[in-house]
Amino acid sequence: MLNKGLLGQLIQTLCCLPGVGPKSAQRMAFYLLQRDRQGAQRLSNTLLTALEKIQHCQHCRTLTELTVCEICASSSRDQSLLCVVETPSDAWVVEQAAFFKGVYFILHGRLSPLDGIGPDELGLDLLEQRFATGSIKEIILATNSTVEGEATAYYISHLAKKYQLQASRIAQGVPIGGELEFIDSGTLSQAFMGRKNLD
Amino acid sequence: MTETVVECQPGFILHHRRYRETSLILEVFTRDYGIISILAKGVRKAKSRTAGLLLPFKALSVSYCGKAELKTLTQVEAQPIHTDLTGLALYCGFYVNELIGRFCHKHDPHPEVYADYRDCLMQLTRVMRETENPAGFTPLLQVEAVLRLFELNLMQHIGLALLTEYDAHTEAPINTDAQYFFQAERGVIEHVAGTVSGKTIQAINDKVFTDTQALSEAKYIMRNVINFHLQGKPLKTRAILAKIYQQL
Ligand SMILES: [Zn+2]
Repeated sequence: MLNKGLLGQLIQTLCCLPGVGPKSAQRMAFYLLQRDRQGAQRLSNTLLTALEKIQHCQHCRTLTELTVCEICASSSRDQSLLCVVETPSDAWVVEQAAFFKGVYFILHGRLSPLDGIGPDELGLDLLEQRFATGSIKEIILATNSTVEGEATAYYISHLAKKYQLQASRIAQGVPIGGELEFIDSGTLSQAFMGRKNLD
Repeated sequence: MTETVVECQPGFILHHRRYRETSLILEVFTRDYGIISILAKGVRKAKSRTAGLLLPFKALSVSYCGKAELKTLTQVEAQPIHTDLTGLALYCGFYVNELIGRFCHKHDPHPEVYADYRDCLMQLTRVMRETENPAGFTPLLQVEAVLRLFELNLMQHIGLALLTEYDAHTEAPINTDAQYFFQAERGVIEHVAGTVSGKTIQAINDKVFTDTQALSEAKYIMRNVINFHLQGKPLKTRAILAKIYQQL
């Protein structure tokens, strides 16, 4: 009986969250309704407003309630250095690390010919338009280290070449604190190929 | 269905998609069992030792088990076969994977196709590394030659060999000085206004491509054949690759 009605609906709806199964959804629902109704109200209001207001930044396509996001609008960021990532969460991760002073471009995906996703589907013409304006000098390709990520990076690096932009790919290999013994052969071979001189 | 246990089977991942938070569903082209869907649990975690292995175009040795259609990966290792597709060759790899997926059915073993596929990936790897080549082909043309050879062998192994040995009308052998018309369902017919040269037909029969004309005519023929057998369901990769090539 319990999984019918509004309560059941709430539990089921919470299951749409990543990593949330029926059990945790149930816990969340009871918590919100019994212990923290105010919190639930805030959550629901914020969610509604966020859904309504948050769109893609016109420049970098990250998620923002502004027409142009804070990073793209900031005068303290190097607007000529562009980091290309697959998702807004990837940009977020780079941003959290706090060493990158340039701006981003979010692809919202990757080239995946087998899934029918090509340059048009990814909206790469928009990226090319930005290259064409001449405001960008250098790009850093921070797509994932999957075959689709590589295919995407290769394509964009060619686009960049057309506009005489300097393009580089983020290095892959042994993580800091990583021991060779625990690294898979794919990562290890990448690490060998990307080795650096010690002089 | 009874429990299947397969150990150390040579295979290549054709395609992968994310499943739930940390898992992948792999379409694996195995040597002895054909295409198998395998669930790789928990491999998308930060410290997964197998994430760097579970990539398309890498020669693997996979172990899996399960009763249902979707098997579960139990072990995976890299095979000492060097395949590393970069640039142009990488895009061709997607195309070849789609061909396999469309022409080889699930659980339908094709060890000869498997061997050709592996050779094709090794050749695509080599092509992108070599700076010189005997026929004076650019990397793009070399890649095209590798693809044509793979397509021809594929068609042959799955029982859809091209009808190019003889003139379909007269049953005469191919005349390398003549022109021919080609139709996937009928074969070649000699005609002064034919769009394909006898030389190209001969090159297809010999599976040796040494000039650009033969390559471009062979591409036309293979496209024709593949489209015919796909019965109006076009390859997804083709349109996208064409678009990509325009830029490169
Ligand atoms: Zn922005």
